[in-house]
Amino acid sequence: MTRRVKGIVGGVILVILALYPWLFGIYFTNVIVTCAIFALFAVSYNLLLGYTGLFSFGHAMFFGAGGYATALALTHIEGCPLLVALLFGFLGAVALALLLSPIVARLAHSAFAMLHLAFSMLLYTLALKLRGITGGEDGIGGFPIPPFRIPGVVSVDMTDPLNFYYFAMAVLCGSLWVAWFLTKTPFGQIIVSVRDNDKRVDYMGFKVPQTKAIIYTLSCGFAGIAGSIYAMFQNLISAAALGIAQSFAPIVMTMVGGVISFFGPIWGAVIFAVIEELTTRYTERVQLVEGLILIIVILFFPGGFIHIVAIVKGKLLGFTRGKGAGLIKGKWFGK
Amino acid sequence: MKMTKRISSAIIVLCSLCLLGLPQAMAANAAFDVNKMADMSDFDPNHPVIPTGDTIKIALVASFSGPAAVVGQIYWISVQWAAHDINKRGGILVDGKRKLVQVIKADHQSRVDVCKKVCERMVLQEKVHVLWGTDGSHLMKVINQVANKYKVIALCAASLSDDLYDAQNFSRYSFMTSFSTEQIGRAFAYYYGQMRKKEKKFYILCQDYLFGHQMAEGFKKGLKEYYPDAKIVGEDYHRLFLTDFAPYLTKIKASGAEVIYTGDWIPDAANLLKQARQMGIKLPFANTFMDEPNFLHAVGVKGTNGLVHVSQYGVEGGAFKTPEQIKYYKAWNDLWKAGKWGAPYNSRLYEHGTGNIGAYRAQTYWLLSVIERAGSTKAKKIIKVFEGDTYQYVIGKVMEMRACDHKAVQDLHIELYVPPAEQRQSFNIPPYYWYKGYSVTGPSFKIPRDKVLPKADPKLCK
Repeated sequence: MTRRVKGIVGGVILVILALYPWLFGIYFTNVIVTCAIFALFAVSYNLLLGYTGLFSFGHAMFFGAGGYATALALTHIEGCPLLVALLFGFLGAVALALLLSPIVARLAHSAFAMLHLAFSMLLYTLALKLRGITGGEDGIGGFPIPPFRIPGVVSVDMTDPLNFYYFAMAVLCGSLWVAWFLTKTPFGQIIVSVRDNDKRVDYMGFKVPQTKAIIYTLSCGFAGIAGSIYAMFQNLISAAALGIAQSFAPIVMTMVGGVISFFGPIWGAVIFAVIEELTTRYTERVQLVEGLILIIVILFFPGGFIHIVAIVKGKLLGFTRGKGAGLIKGKWFGK
Repeated sequence: MKMTKRISSAIIVLCSLCLLGLPQAMAANAAFDVNKMADMSDFDPNHPVIPTGDTIKIALVASFSGPAAVVGQIYWISVQWAAHDINKRGGILVDGKRKLVQVIKADHQSRVDVCKKVCERMVLQEKVHVLWGTDGSHLMKVINQVANKYKVIALCAASLSDDLYDAQNFSRYSFMTSFSTEQIGRAFAYYYGQMRKKEKKFYILCQDYLFGHQMAEGFKKGLKEYYPDAKIVGEDYHRLFLTDFAPYLTKIKASGAEVIYTGDWIPDAANLLKQARQMGIKLPFANTFMDEPNFLHAVGVKGTNGLVHVSQYGVEGGAFKTPEQIKYYKAWNDLWKAGKWGAPYNSRLYEHGTGNIGAYRAQTYWLLSVIERAGSTKAKKIIKVFEGDTYQYVIGKVMEMRACDHKAVQDLHIELYVPPAEQRQSFNIPPYYWYKGYSVTGPSFKIPRDKVLPKADPKLCK
């Protein structure tokens, strides 16, 4: 795709997003906000899994930490501005990641995955038990959502779903762009190298644990932003946001969307939002449908949706070389 | 002289008539009239006739999947029954048109985030007029928030936490027709302290969320008020949908408690009682939701004997005092006995249609009566009628909607579970027992409404 075509596609997407609430109404506007939140959450997860080769079963703890940090800030700090609350969410998740990274940055594979499962369950239990702080099973809800204010310039009411949509989409799309940009930097290439052969990267003079710690912290920070927006959007955060089901959500979205591409998890989030929207109207067994799709994807399309798209594109456009061909073969990016 | 005597007699007769008529007139603004009930012989909860188009839409927000799916099924049959009855009568005249009642399932999967989403879908997509909820006070809080945001009516028929209607959480769009945690706690305290006067050591075991904590608070407050000599020998809160109660039960055993006070609902209530009996703990449970027939049957007559249950749908003495009450009971029970209903509605849980099922049906009838009297589906008009309204259930109980905080004022009943042979005290028509396989309601004690007034936030109720 040429630069010009990319620009046009980007422009069209922006126009669609800008007009979306008028085209589809409040309900579907709320659906797309949820979808975007989970897209960022899944992308943050894929920075670990897809780019660095770190498989985690506890990514929800950063999502939840971001949500709780924002909710607590809005509950206890009178007049806390919106962006400060968002910053609290980001810093909450980053602080937790910094606390854990000395331990986890030296690990990989199942040890990394299981340790995260253990830590996330610990946090989940703490959230349930520290009722005075976290609200226990009920969570923290009903906190004030401050207006988006630039002193002397503008003050926008964020309890209006339309205004919140633009705010949330700006933050989420901005975060997605930053994450994407990160993967295009030399640092992005190093983390891919760490995934492929960490010993060779070490021989080349790069510090593998530190590299892992940096991407880990950044990934968790993005998850924290997603959690923060989620808490403000729902006006509620509960222990469920830290639970095992929440940790599995980005894994499943990434697998279904495609671990082999930056955009795979975004597609995964979209696919699951659509499935949920359609199935809940006909059955209460949404998870059954989602589980079946995951099984089919793993058995027949291990590269996920993005892989299927690449195959179709390859057949239509006749890719034989370059990135497209790599995707057709189901290879991970950067190989 | 003769004239004066005649006038005096006339005055006496008139006064007597007035006195006799007055309680009836004061009883309620409206009452359920069994004689107006439609022929319900075609009611089938598995295949309900659901009208579409320009209808009065009620979203039934509940767990329809996961471990608490049975609760959703209970609500479904109860609300659907009332809707079916009203629809067969031709619907309700609202906004100048007779409209049928459409009940829509909304599964919140016991998750707060899903609850918000599904409620918004009901309001924005399905355009429902009422959100009917639900199992879990934390989820009812979400329903109330959505109702408040989009200005639709919320009916709290099954969540009991008082805090849902304090000054901080109060929404003028939401009405609590169920009993509440403090009422329950105080009712038990009143029964043990002022009526029974025997057991003194209580152990509190509740679910670790808003409802569970409020249940405990209500009981503690009630004990202070009605039974200062009583002692709380232990207090624990467990997470929802726990499967192993052994650590808690071991502590209870060691505590020397004489009664276990619990607010647990199924499946927790079932697992708790089963495991307690398996561990040889024979203590009575003072409970609210330990009344599900299938699991009580599994525990048996001995294991369920002596349970103490608080009911929002109870009566003192025999349950059937009038031919109308028998007719209403039989309309349900005959259908169940005929085996027309498929699973899960063919289980013994649905045999009688009393207890909580009876309460949910009655609360739905009350709601529909309010809508009828408001003559509109507009929230503001419904609120106007609902605030301060009184309504008489088929069992004779009169409900009052307190205007200041939208909580129902009502009498409660403490029921003692006894073996089948003694159940005729309550089940006073043939075959003179509710269930043969376990102990259930026998003697029942009325706790007057003024002893168990729902907690009122002074910021709302002066």
